[in-house]
Order: sequence, then structure tokens, then C-alpha cells
Amino acid sequence: MASVLTEEDWKSCFTQLGPALLLFARRWTHSRVEAEDIVQEAFVRFWRRQHSIENRALLYATVRSTALDRLRSDQRRARREATVARDGATHCEPQFTDLDESQQVLAAAVERLPDEQREVVILKIWNELTFAEIASVLEISQNTAASRYRYALATLRKTLQPHE
Amino acid sequence: MNDFSEIEAELKKLRPAPISQDLCARVERALTSNVSTAAVFRRPKRRGNLWWSLGLSLAGASALVLLGLAFLEEAPLSTPHLNVAQDRSTPATTVPPNDNGFRPAALTRVVYQRRDEGLIFSPNQSEQPLRRVRYDTRETMRWRNPQTGASLRVSYPAEQVVLTPVSFQ
Repeated sequence: MASVLTEEDWKSCFTQLGPALLLFARRWTHSRVEAEDIVQEAFVRFWRRQHSIENRALLYATVRSTALDRLRSDQRRARREATVARDGATHCEPQFTDLDESQQVLAAAVERLPDEQREVVILKIWNELTFAEIASVLEISQNTAASRYRYALATLRKTLQPHE
Repeated sequence: MNDFSEIEAELKKLRPAPISQDLCARVERALTSNVSTAAVFRRPKRRGNLWWSLGLSLAGASALVLLGLAFLEEAPLSTPHLNVAQDRSTPATTVPPNDNGFRPAALTRVVYQRRDEGLIFSPNQSEQPLRRVRYDTRETMRWRNPQTGASLRVSYPAEQVVLTPVSFQ
């Protein structure tokens, strides 16, 4: 049963989940500022609807729909973002902190993953969602989510092998 | 999946960049500023408000219907217009403005269903039989305040029964 959370509880939840939410939001934008706007809007929207904070899949789905709404509301920006994503441009701001040399290589490899693979990895590794939850968030089948995850990890492992 | 355990462990060591203090502050502000709103719109209260507003709306609509009857023409008994939107613009000069400065601007009646219910007879059969036709309509009245440009629109469903005498020759 979901207990009634106080305002402090929600703040604490946000502090805990914020970094992973931000990482997920950057799937749709390469600007940290815009990603923060998406996360803020989504979290407040989620809170206003009085969903259970334990429903993580719904929280991430809210982030996704908020991001998509924003993209749809500004077609010019959407085209620009799509172009950037298509060109595989590297992120101008780091998404991870406190990296040693080998971790920097791994982080760069994560950022080079195709978007649909990277978002599954982000949801699985740093948000600890199950494949069923990931499938629900991304509106894909569980098998698709699992296979994208496997492809992504295979790619990352291959990338790291020469350095090991 | 076990083949990937090593790479998974490596990935989990990566720490996502923390959220900025600014974002924290913005979210905190949003949560704080909406506390009163969330309290007002709790689910049980919202239901109460719904019934209250529904009752008020019905009462208001009823009053406006009575008021609007003054502007309505009765549909002709023999040849009612079906499925046609009739927009009868009422000249602003014909009706004096009410206290709020609103003048009737238009009246629209759309017949969206016609049911012929057949012949009916009076109990003692002393009168002519009547054909009863029932019309479901939606009527829309509009008022406009020419000074402020404000407009008021009221739309409501209506039902009309037309009895037409039938003569057998």
C-alpha cells in the first residue's frame, strides 16, 4: 500500500532519483538545461497526479512523455534535436562524474550507443528498472527491450576489450 | 546474461552527474507552492465539487433556457427541418440590452435525431388521431456585449414533441 508522502519525502525522493532522471531525460536533448527543465516538469506533474513514488515505471514514462510533448511543441527544435541525434554528435556536457581513465572510455562508449539502446541501458543500469518496466516506459515489448540491452552491452564490451 | 556481468558491474560504477542546486530549488519551490492546490483538489473533495458545480450548472442552464424561450421560435408543426443548423441572427437593435450589457447575438438549433412514434389516439377517441414525432435537438444561444466584446454562449440539449392531426379520407 502506498503511504501518504510528505513534502519532505518527495524532496528526498527527488534528490535520490534526480541524477538518474536527468540522465534519462538527456536522451531527448543534449542540453543539460533543457534536460533539467524536462525533469522538473515531469516530476512536478507526477507529484500533482498523486501517483505512488514506488511506481518508477510511471515516473520515467512521465519524463518521456514530457520530453516528447516539449519536442512536439516546438517543431524547429525537434528537427534540430533529431539532426543532432542522427549525426551522433557527442554530448557537450559530461553525464557522469568522478571518472578515472578507463571509466571515461566506458562513459564515452555509452554516449556513442544508438539512442534506443542507450535509453534501455540507462533505465536498466542506473534506474534499476526491470525489462517489463522498461517495456512499459518505452512502449516496446519486453523482448525488444532485452535484446536492445544485450546489443548495447555487447557493443560496450567490444569497445573496452582492446583497452583491457 | 552472465556473460555481461562484468560490463554491468563496470557500468554501475559510473555515477550520473548530480542534479544542480538550481534544479533542486526549483522543484522544491514547485512542491511547496502547490501544496494548497493539491489539498484543494484531493480526490474526495473533487467529487464533491463536481456535484456542486453540476447542480449549479443545471440550475444556471435551466434559468437560461427559460430566459431563452423568449427568443425561440416554435418549429413549424408540419415541416420541421431535419439535420440542418439554423443560425438565426437576431438584430441587436430589436432587443434591448440587459443589465450586463449583453445583447442576444445568435440562436442555433440543430436537429440531430427524429423519431416518428406513430399515431396516437385520445382515450375516448372523440378527437382526430395525431401523429407524434419527437425531435432531439441541441440549441445554442449566444449573447455579446458590444462594448466590451465579451461573449456568452450557452448550449443545451432539448427535446421537442410535435403532434400533427391526421385525417382519413
